[in-house]
Amino acid sequence: MNTHDALTWIAEVFEEPPGQITIETKREQILGWDSLGTLSLIAGLDERFDIHLSEKDIDGMQRVSDILDILRRNGKLEDA
Amino acid sequence: MGDSRSFLDFSGQWVVVTGASSGLGRAIAVELARHGARVVLVGRNEGRLSETASQLGNADHRVLVLDLARHDAIAAEVIRLRQDVGPLYGMCHAAGIVETRPLATNTIGVVQAQLNVNLLAGLELARTVCRRDVMMSDGGSLLFVSSVYGRVGMPGQTGYCATKGAIASAVRAMAIELARRRIRVNCISPGLVLTEMTKQSLGVLSPEHVEKLKAAHPLGIGEPEDVARAAVFLLAPGTRWITGADLAVDGGFTAQ
Repeated sequence: MNTHDALTWIAEVFEEPPGQITIETKREQILGWDSLGTLSLIAGLDERFDIHLSEKDIDGMQRVSDILDILRRNGKLEDA
Repeated sequence: MGDSRSFLDFSGQWVVVTGASSGLGRAIAVELARHGARVVLVGRNEGRLSETASQLGNADHRVLVLDLARHDAIAAEVIRLRQDVGPLYGMCHAAGIVETRPLATNTIGVVQAQLNVNLLAGLELARTVCRRDVMMSDGGSLLFVSSVYGRVGMPGQTGYCATKGAIASAVRAMAIELARRRIRVNCISPGLVLTEMTKQSLGVLSPEHVEKLKAAHPLGIGEPEDVARAAVFLLAPGTRWITGADLAVDGGFTAQ
């Protein structure tokens, strides 16, 4: 998956319109990224990418770029 | 609402109504339209949905022919609907099936068929309607039609009772989860209302049993409109502090 597709997927997880989510977007800028949104993200990473997050991973996710880093570390993101 | 509009005024907001081809769903759709809602009529039978549509007066509406047992089709249809009409205000899941069976013949398949429509389709519809990119950003209202048989038992209705009880429980969970987004979730539990569905299930009972059931309702048998008015009350934008409720609309049946 490339970065564009990853951002589209993240937008879908948080039910944001495509294009609203960028690499720099912070958690507090996304309405749907509350505690329940985090659960949706965790479930999505598990079901779509078979990525299981540690507590440290979860606590560390404060920006969209953090999610992309997780995808990259797990070999799911092709760098441009 | 600090203006002169009735608290039951839907002001043109869109409400999806399942089971709209007959019975309670039809009555609810018609009553919603009377109070200014634009309605999406969902059902399996296009002809009967059109009959419902003809009773809406000049109210804007859409007809969505959809088999709710096909859960995988629900999300796509709701998203398509949103693209057509704009943000949705809410939904009423009035679709339901009942199969009267003694426990001995109440196989998994029989129960599953009722679960698929009565509960699971409603949850899938709620899941999609409540998406941030589907629902209005300032909140909305969901209503599920449960039944008095979600609270009390009835011979031959194990599957039906299970699905209707599950609806009431799911409603409470959704109400708490969605309150942060000002989305209210409620259910109504109708008693005996003469609709095609209830006539069918009463048809397998003895006449004596049917008369006992009728007599068990202190205010007599209900009409679809009795339930529809309660549904509109709970769905209405003005009843903004009611959520997680299960309103018995049963002529006093469960008060005994």
